[in-house]
This record gives sequence, structure tokens and C-alpha cells, in this order.
Amino acid sequence: MLRVDRRLLQNVDWALLVVAFALIMMSSVTLASLHVGRAGGSVVIRQLLWFTIGLAVMVLVASLDYRRLVRAAPAIYALGLAALVSVFVLGRTVSGAKRWIVMGPLSVQPSELFKLCFLLMAVWAVTSRWAQPVGRTAIIISMPIVAVPAVLIIKQPDLGTALLLIPVMTILLIGAGLRMKTLGALALAALAAMPLAWMALKEYQRERILVFLDPFRDPLGSAYNVIQAKIAIGSGQLLGKGVAGATQSRLAFLPERHTDFIFAVFAEMWGFVGCLILLLCYVLLLLRGFDIAATAREPVGRLVALGATSLFAAQVLINVGMVTGLLPVVGIPLPLMSYGGSSMVASCLTLGLLLSVRMRQFQ
Amino acid sequence: MSAARRSLSSRRDPGRQRVMVIATATIFAFLVLIGQLWYLQVLEGGRFLDASDKNRIRVRPIAAPRGILFDRHGMPLVDNRPTFTLSLIPRELPRDDETRDAVLGRVASLLRIPFQELTDAVAKVPPDSLLPVRVRRGLSLAEVAKVEEWKLELPGVITEVEPQRVYPNSRFAAHLLGYVREASDEQLKQGRYRRGEMVGQSGLERLLDEHLRGQDGGERIEVDAMGRPVRRVQQTEPHAGAQVTTTIDRGIQEAAERAMEGQAGAVVVMDPRNGDVLAMVSTPAFEIDRFTGTIDREAWLRVVQDPNFPLLNRTIQTQYAPGSVFKIVVAAAGLQEGTITPLDRTHCSGEFQLGSTIFKDWKEGGHGTVDLRGAIQHSCNIFFYEAGLKIGGAAIVRYASAFGFGQPTAIALPGEKFGLLPKPQTARGRQGKPFPVGETINMSIGQGTVLVTPMQVARFMAAVANGGVLWRPRLVQRVERPDRGVVWSDQGQVNGHVELSPVVWAFLRQSLWAVVNDNGTGAAARIPGIDIAGKTGTAQMIAKSKAEKGQDHAWFAAFAPAKAPEVVVVVIAERGGKGGQVAAPIARKIFNAIFLEKIAAVGFGG
Repeated sequence: MLRVDRRLLQNVDWALLVVAFALIMMSSVTLASLHVGRAGGSVVIRQLLWFTIGLAVMVLVASLDYRRLVRAAPAIYALGLAALVSVFVLGRTVSGAKRWIVMGPLSVQPSELFKLCFLLMAVWAVTSRWAQPVGRTAIIISMPIVAVPAVLIIKQPDLGTALLLIPVMTILLIGAGLRMKTLGALALAALAAMPLAWMALKEYQRERILVFLDPFRDPLGSAYNVIQAKIAIGSGQLLGKGVAGATQSRLAFLPERHTDFIFAVFAEMWGFVGCLILLLCYVLLLLRGFDIAATAREPVGRLVALGATSLFAAQVLINVGMVTGLLPVVGIPLPLMSYGGSSMVASCLTLGLLLSVRMRQFQ
Repeated sequence: MSAARRSLSSRRDPGRQRVMVIATATIFAFLVLIGQLWYLQVLEGGRFLDASDKNRIRVRPIAAPRGILFDRHGMPLVDNRPTFTLSLIPRELPRDDETRDAVLGRVASLLRIPFQELTDAVAKVPPDSLLPVRVRRGLSLAEVAKVEEWKLELPGVITEVEPQRVYPNSRFAAHLLGYVREASDEQLKQGRYRRGEMVGQSGLERLLDEHLRGQDGGERIEVDAMGRPVRRVQQTEPHAGAQVTTTIDRGIQEAAERAMEGQAGAVVVMDPRNGDVLAMVSTPAFEIDRFTGTIDREAWLRVVQDPNFPLLNRTIQTQYAPGSVFKIVVAAAGLQEGTITPLDRTHCSGEFQLGSTIFKDWKEGGHGTVDLRGAIQHSCNIFFYEAGLKIGGAAIVRYASAFGFGQPTAIALPGEKFGLLPKPQTARGRQGKPFPVGETINMSIGQGTVLVTPMQVARFMAAVANGGVLWRPRLVQRVERPDRGVVWSDQGQVNGHVELSPVVWAFLRQSLWAVVNDNGTGAAARIPGIDIAGKTGTAQMIAKSKAEKGQDHAWFAAFAPAKAPEVVVVVIAERGGKGGQVAAPIARKIFNAIFLEKIAAVGFGG
């Protein structure tokens, strides 16, 4: 299985890896300047440690044939669901949310890793023979695949991760050739279901959406993050304040500054120009991903690449959108930038899938 | 033909096309993000920069009130009260050195604080720190008013309210309680404390610091350009420190301190039934309230360089010769070993010759013919010289050791001295060789190489009073946390037993009773109606100059009531002269207060 084919190595997407490394570098510099906790450097060291683990996992996934993975998807998916359920039993509560499972010195966030189980399962379902041609039946099949984990993840509660599942599924259906007419009908149905979704939300989640619509509704409570993040980003201006001058971030006005709101820190330090470079890196990475999808020779590979790329894209867009005040605050980390082990490993796994597809496109 | 097949085989691959559409949509979304960033950072950037400059969040640590120490009846020995503190916030001080120095200079002249002290304080912390640096604690209202009046000209200078220790009086139980001060630079280096944190530096405050300290809380407040709080962003409640119940009786402690006024020395009051320390006085004491907070250097030096060593806790840290108090040990050893009997008589002429050396009695002309009881009662040295020779130095040392001399009492305070006893084997020569005679003679009256602390004497007297039980002196009964109940307690502990026959105990107590109540040397301690039993002592000082001559330390160690002892009082008055004349009256005052209190308590109770 791990036999290395020379042709496989020739097709490694080095550009993808270089861009990913560049992002990790930017993340490390930002984290190092924050002095989170008592020992300033430890967060960076731990982040790089996680990246090393991520690299190993990435190489492993890349060396596997993605078609085998998709074939095993139902089992992987079931395992993922079991992990999500186990959170309720074994989970550790951090700031009110039960998202973590403690395993020795590590705490793992199963919902982060579940995104990939979901991706494989979604590709499996959409390419299965029951879903052909991709139309209404495919939608019906895909619904429980989204809904069951979404409910489990929302219960943790982790609304952001749950919300990621829907766009990824939708994009997969579109990629698989869903007709635009059916898509329109689906969109209408979703719109009609909005009030129901509103009812199902937790109080603080509703509050966040209301605050998004009107930030000054509660400037001390839930809007505090948004206002402080906006001030941090805006005060960076064109060229940024540099590491020393980034008072907003360094003086801890910003909550969650090394995790979900790291983009605001980066923006304050490096300004508009820095942000442009950072976003350009993400765009380059995503374009490589789309290219892999576009050049894939068969539908499973294309959908795996498309799904992985869109998963990545959705996270970047939602995170930056939320930090810049374009979207309501949902807890989604910025891939490869935010501090967090599970998120880092999940991002590396996503890259691994892309590499796996690229390496086998000429077979 | 299935749809999948068709999509695969068709020339214009719709899947590929759709990937392109999605990629385009994604790029469009990124353009929206960039547009928003352009808006935030370039178009509105100035406004946000302004907002970030004005975003002045002040971090205000809320000191947890230190736990309170109570006496055995629940009376507070020390309490907290809010006091004003002058603090500097480095980040809000002017950036350029010149204006900053002008601000600090104004503070210095307003409050008469040395300018150097202010610049030193600021230099110790990073310049962008939000945390206030405490400069001077215990400001008066007038000083606070001055600072507030000049507020506009003093950016970065604030007054805070902090809880601070307050004591019943300036020198109250200073050694026992110990003082509380800001963590020193050395303590900061150890990394256990934060800058500005109050730490117990001596006594019980130091011993129980971990429990007493509690957990500080903090607030994040947004303030406007004038430094006025606009809103509170975040708050963590402080958790008060644990409450400590000591064994001290505040009434007795105060009485003992009053009795010792103007007299250097020490007092220990102990309950012989369980080893509870009821009072612990060491004089001269330092002014504990002046030590709390930020003490000025001058006052500190004055205390440290004081020739009377006010920082020394004399009850456990000073070793004195026991003087005649030690005769009780000699008598106990002799009676139990059978080397002397109560019927032995000696004629005391005031002099005792051994070889060519003449040992004198303290009383010119001697006591005439005395038996053992009379020798204790009148503290006759000649009798004890002879008795000591009969008993032998080794036996005396053995009994002294059994009574706990030469060993620490294991009281829960740091820095206790062990005292000194001559060791049989090291006393010049081979083992088994009898003690040098001169040394035995000196030891028989508690001089020479015997040194004791007042706490050891108290433990010893308690053992005499209770029939041989050597209690570890207990100071702290329990430590209670508001949220967790009792977290630490001390049930008391027996260090050892002294086995003497009941007849010997009875004889000793009877003789000690006679010292006070039958015209003995301790007659000055007599209180009609209360049977006090005790022994006087005079610890000779080797006079270094003529002025020091006759300045002996006066001992009085006693217990009462003689038949069923409830309390032991040990007094040493430094350079007081004769024990009976100086120490006994002090003990009398203390006994008076104790039994007055007891009678009063019974009266109220009934």
C-alpha cells in the first residue's frame, strides 16, 4: 500500500506545499508576537509540533489512493459519528462547550476531524449508483448525511463547524452535475426552513446573529469581539503597525486572539498590504485545489478535490468574513493560521487528500 | 446510458466547467473580503486608529482580602480595612522622558515622596504595562484629595483602594502575627509571587501565607481620556483568604503586653493541659502597622539597627541561662534517683568552697540551715551546689533533656533556637568519666553551659504542672476556607513524657507553692485566693563593663491554680535584676488578668 511509485512522486504538487508552508510561517510569527499565556514561545512551539504531526499524517494520506478511502467512507463516517457521540460522554468542557476529548496530554476536537470523514462520505454518496443521475434522489440521500452529524455538532455546541457541512455538500452536488433548476428549488426550501432553524438555535447563537445585524446592541457582551476586532483591523491601516505597535492585539483587548480571531491580529500588525499577501496565499492554495479538481480524470477524484478545496475555502471565507464583520460570529478557525492542534491536523489531512488526487491523475 | 457515464464521456466536460464556476465564485468572495478590508483599513483606517488609541482599557487587580486571624474565643487579632494606595500606570504615563519626569516630579513634591523612588518603581516594569505599579500605600485622605485635584496634570497617576491589615494597637502581638509587605525583589525572583502582591514576611502571616492570601480578582475597565471609568468589560471576583483560629487569648495577650511595657524580655502563657499557647510576648516589639505596606527606608533601618533587636522573637529565638528555675530539674533528678531526700539538710553560710574556688550564695551571710523545700523556697545556692555534686552532672543533664531542654519545642514558627545542654560524652574526655565538678556546680543553679528559651521553660513548667506530659506548643487550631471548610487543623501533639513518682511531683508542686505563698522568693507574685506555684530565677550575665554589672535577667516561671493547673506563665525580664523583684510582679499582673477574665467569663456565663 505504501509502495512509492516514481510517477507518483513526479506529480507531487509542490506549489501547494510551498504556499501552505508560507501560511504556517505567517502563523508562527503572529503567534510568537502575542505572548499568550505565561511562556510566550510555547504556543508557537506547540503549533509547530502539531504541524509536524500534520505533515506526517498528510504524507500518509497522500500515499493512500483516495479511491480506497472513498470506498471505505461509510466505515470512516460511522467511526466519526461514534467519536462525536463520545464527546458527550467523555468530553471536557471548555468555556461552556463540550468539544474536546482528553487523551493523555492531548485534547482532541473530534468535530474538526469529522469534517474529513464527512467529505469522504459525501463523495461516496454522490458518486454511488443510487444517486445517479444526480438529481432529487441524490439530495434525499445526502440529507441525513448532513443532518445527523450537524445535530450532534450543534449540540456540543459548535454551530460553525455544523454550518460548514451544508455548503460543502451543496458544492459537491453542483460539482456532480446537479441541474440548476433543482438547485434553485433546494435554495427556496432552505429559505423556507430558516424560521425553523432560528427556533433550534441556542440563545447565545441567536444573540450573535442579532449582534451581527446590530453590533451596538450589546457592546460589552457578544459584540465586544466584533468591535474590538474591527478596531484592530482598521487601525492597521495600509501598512500596519508592526509587531510592537499592535496595541489592540498585544494588550489583550482582543479575546480569542490566538485562535479564531488571529486574522485581526495579523491585520493590525501588517495592515492592508499584509492582508492582501495573506489572502493571496489562500487564493493561490485554493486555485491549486480547483486546478486539481478540474484536471482530475474521473468523477471521484474530481469531487474529492473539489470537496476538499471548498471545505478549505468555506473555512477561510467564513472566518475572515466573521472577523471583518461581514458575517455573524461562529467559531471557525482560520485554517493553518489559528492555533489549535485538531484544526491543524484537519487542514493537513485536507491538503493530503488534494495531493493524493493530484499524484494519481495520470494513472 | 446513465447520467454519470454521459458526464464522463461528453466532450465538453460539464464537471470541469462547474469547477471553474465554483472557483470563480470563490475568487469573487475573496474580492468581497478584500473590499471590506479596503474599507476598514484604508477608507476608515484613520477612524479606527483613533479608536484604538482611545481604547484605554485599565486592568485593575482587586486584591483578595487577606484571611483574618482570630483568637481562641473568636476575637479578631488582626483585621482588614480599606486604605488608599498611590499607583502609576506605565502605559498611561507620558511617553517622552521629559514630560514623564515632570509628572513624577509633581507627584514627588505633592506627596513628599523621594523622586528616585518613583522613577525606580517605573523602571522595574515594561513601559507598555497596563498593570498599576503600587508606589505608596496608606495615603491619607488629604493626600488622596491632592492627587485627585491635580488629576488632569497627572496622567497615569491613580489612587486605588486596597484592603490592608489593621491591628488592635501598634505593637500588638508583632512577633506572633508577623508583618505583611509587598513581595521583595528576591521573592519575585523565586517566581512564586507577582509584583505588588502582599506577602506575609514573618510570624504566622508567613507560616500560613498560602492559606491567608486568597485569590486576587481583577477587572478590565474601559476608561475615557480623562481616566474616568466608562464601562466594565470583564470582571473576576476575588476570593478571600482562609480564616485562622489561633490558640491565643486576646485578653491575656493584651494583659501580658501591658505588664511588659517598658521592659525588654519575653512572656509565654500556656495551657498545661494541652500545650495551647495563650499569649506570646517579646519586647521590645516593632511597630507592626508601620511595617505593613510600604515602609520608608529610614524607619526600616532604625528598626534593623536598633541595639535592642526588636525584630527578634525572644520567646523562641533568644537563649538565656535558666538560673534558679533550673533547680527544679536538679531537685527532680535527685529525688527520683534517690541521691537526695526531702529530709537532707545543709547549713548555708553563704559560701561554698571547692578546692581553692569559693562559690557564693546570692544572699550575703546565707540562709542558715535549710532542707530541700526551704532551698527551693528561698532559692539557696549552697544547698544545690552540694546536692548537684551528689546527684552528678550526667543525671542532671539526663533529666533536663527529658524535660525537653536542648531540643526544639517544634512550635509552628520559623527560626526557633534549640537551647543548650552540656553533652556527657563531649564534656572533656572519655565517655563515662564524671562531669567536671565545676561545671556540675554551675549547672546545679542553672548557670554555665545551660541555655534555654522562654518557650522551652513554659513547656517544662507545663510538664511539672500536668505531671510530666511534654506538649508541643500549639499556636494554630484550624484554618478554614469560606468555600471548603476546614483545610488544615492541629489537634495538638505530645512530644514526650517525664516519668517521676507521684510523690516527687507532689513534693515539687508543694515546694513551688511555698515559693510564692510561704514567704519565698516569689512572694511578689502572690494573689490571695489564687494558688500560684512558681520559681524565680536570675540568669547571670557575664559583665562586659562596669555599667553592665548587676544587670542580670530575671526569671519567673509559674502555674496556677497549684492543685489543678490551668495556666503556665513564664516571664523573663532582661537586665531586670532579681527574678523575685522584677519578673514575679509582672507575672502577678498577668495572673490577675487571667483569673479576672475567667471569673468574669463565669459570671457572664452563669
